Amino acid sequence: MSIGDLWRWLVDPANWQGSDGIPTRLGEQVHVSVESVAIGAAIALPVGVVLGHYGRFGNLAINVSNVGRAVPSFGIIVIAFLAFGLGDGPIVLALTALAIPPMVTNSYVALREVDPDIKEAARGMGYRELAQVLRVELPLAVPLIMAGVRTSAVQVVATATLAAVVAGGGFGRYIVDGLARSDYPRLVAGALLVAALALATELLLAGLQRLLVPRGIRLLSAPISHRVTTAKVA
Amino acid sequence: MTRIKRSSWWIQAIAAAALVIAACGGSPTPGTTSKGTLTVGGFNFPESDILAQLYGQALAHGGYDVKYKLDLGTRAVVVPAIQSGQIDLYPGYAASELEYLNKSKGEATPDAVATTAKLNTYLTAIGAQALTPSAAFDGNAYAVTKATAAKYSLTKLSDLAPVASQLVFGAGPECKTYKFCLPGLMSVYGLHFKNTLTLDTDGPATRVAFKNGTIQVGLVFSTDADLDQLGLVVLQDDMHMIAADNVVPVIRTAAATDTVKNLLNKIDAGLTTNDLFTMNGKVSLQHQDADVVAKAYLEAHSYFA
Amino acid sequence: MPARLFLAVDQPWVDWGWLSTHVPYVWDAVVQHLELTVVAVVVGLAISLVLGVLAHLWRPLRFPVLTVFGAFYTIPSIALFALLIPITGLSGTSAEIPLIGYNVLILVRNVMVGLDAVPAEVLDAADGMGYRRFARLVAVELPLAVPAIFAGLRVAVVSTIGIVTITAVIGLGGLGQLILRGLIQDFRTPLVVATALCIVIALFADLALAGAQRLVVPWGRSS
Repeated sequence: MSIGDLWRWLVDPANWQGSDGIPTRLGEQVHVSVESVAIGAAIALPVGVVLGHYGRFGNLAINVSNVGRAVPSFGIIVIAFLAFGLGDGPIVLALTALAIPPMVTNSYVALREVDPDIKEAARGMGYRELAQVLRVELPLAVPLIMAGVRTSAVQVVATATLAAVVAGGGFGRYIVDGLARSDYPRLVAGALLVAALALATELLLAGLQRLLVPRGIRLLSAPISHRVTTAKVA
Repeated sequence: MTRIKRSSWWIQAIAAAALVIAACGGSPTPGTTSKGTLTVGGFNFPESDILAQLYGQALAHGGYDVKYKLDLGTRAVVVPAIQSGQIDLYPGYAASELEYLNKSKGEATPDAVATTAKLNTYLTAIGAQALTPSAAFDGNAYAVTKATAAKYSLTKLSDLAPVASQLVFGAGPECKTYKFCLPGLMSVYGLHFKNTLTLDTDGPATRVAFKNGTIQVGLVFSTDADLDQLGLVVLQDDMHMIAADNVVPVIRTAAATDTVKNLLNKIDAGLTTNDLFTMNGKVSLQHQDADVVAKAYLEAHSYFA
Repeated sequence: MPARLFLAVDQPWVDWGWLSTHVPYVWDAVVQHLELTVVAVVVGLAISLVLGVLAHLWRPLRFPVLTVFGAFYTIPSIALFALLIPITGLSGTSAEIPLIGYNVLILVRNVMVGLDAVPAEVLDAADGMGYRRFARLVAVELPLAVPAIFAGLRVAVVSTIGIVTITAVIGLGGLGQLILRGLIQDFRTPLVVATALCIVIALFADLALAGAQRLVVPWGRSS
């Protein structure tokens, strides 16, 4: 395969329309990824924030991301498939399970890192528990929480590629089909499209983070061991 | 001194890792009695595992060192593998191998011997050859659920022509370009389905899709043992689209010594379609291991005598 | 979403009878899995140490190193394994090249961060004691970078153990072979056993490395 072949595949209008076209596949991959991260965040962030605020189950919260990274995504996706069959549902289930751990750990650590003096001051000013969390602690915790969401999102987008092995869609379809037919332009295109999407996700969420972080608040520096960095899971 | 202890820890760790690799990566027998090493490859469906085991175990019994590289994927992976010498042989299906190598020119016929002869003209170009085809046959088959068959009165594939546009078809990724799959269904039977889904090649995804109604017509293999249990019925290939997909060993010419050829041909001579069906059942329905099933077959047929 | 037991035959998630008769089969898969993992991590670490040190000594090298390996990192592993088949065949090499590449990104970043984190006073003191540049690097800076390197090692090892399963698509896979068998034959036991073992092995490796770190750098944690 030459670069020319790859280029021809990418500019071929037939590859930009229909159920196997790039927009469709993009939509499929984005759809399952967004669903998984959203559901995962809806579960993980409250849990992490509450645990972090009260300082409970710290070891569990920090180690859950270690355990999460230890779960082989290929295995989880196949298990979800054999349990629940075809469709987006099982894939979203598997990806959500993978998305939760980094977000729990980061939100926990983010809340723990809030200066106790600030919490003290807030209490002294008369903030009630919930208001304190929402209006004082969370804004300070946002950078690290967003970093966790970003880590999860990039991992989910990359792992969604494996859905194609269990008859799913997305750009992984180009990779699996390309391998099955020795269609190398398709295979490479699929790989590049996933890489581009992962990069775009990272940049988009980094931009979002910059928007959300209140001015004047620097990124809290948690110890390296506690900060969840992006790990390759697929 | 702390520093010395620390650096020796690193060295010990790496040495231990190296030992583990060396110990576990070593090849088995010294091979004074071995006639050579042969690597058997296979496609990623259970019957291919079984056939590869049949060939491999027969060769091992004949004194060869046999390695297996199974579940490699479709022809797109297996054929280049034999061409580059990564594997020495694999259990092929005469008509399908031919139509893959001649890029779907349409030279395969229902005559196994003629098809194999034609296949060999293409295999020489990649340094391989096909041996004597077996009577055992396993080709693509197209199934519908019993309910669908009843609803549209379907018994053969040509019955599908008027109703295909209302039905969804499911197969594997290579189906769109594989002669005995979609191209054949379209050109020989004039079938234009409402939609075609890429699932897997006769795997669990196809079965799930049948069960939950995602597809009404799907690709299976003619020797699949679990179809009846799943409520599926195969439609007859009345216009003979499927050609001679008889089992035939495809082997690198360099590895095709007379001894090897005789061993393999002996297996194929005794193999029947029903044998494939029975062995498939043991693996798919009872979850027995392919190598155990193969061994039982070889012993039952006194190949190890 | 309703559970769909989609085949007529219901099967348990773990058939203990099957497991008890297939211990050698599972064990072989574990060994292959560990082999692939160890090679990827050891070689990745070696390359990262060299590149990390070079990038530390010569700053212009940082950007290219991080960019090249960073770009490599974004490519899905299944695609890389598939793409290497026509080049390096269905061999351990095709599996190792991507695995090593991913590990280099993880580890080289940590090597650089670790070396950067050495306080200036320590460097001054070392210079004062007469260490020359290279000797200072080996005897003072690298040992102080060990906590950061260990943090990276833990991530690299756990990550590699998971990705090795995907090498099943090129005929290898270690425990991934069992996962693939589970998929192809619709057989739950090898799938569940392999997934569980992956988790156990990864956690064990993580704990072992954490313990080793405490032995090697007793004066400080990975922070």
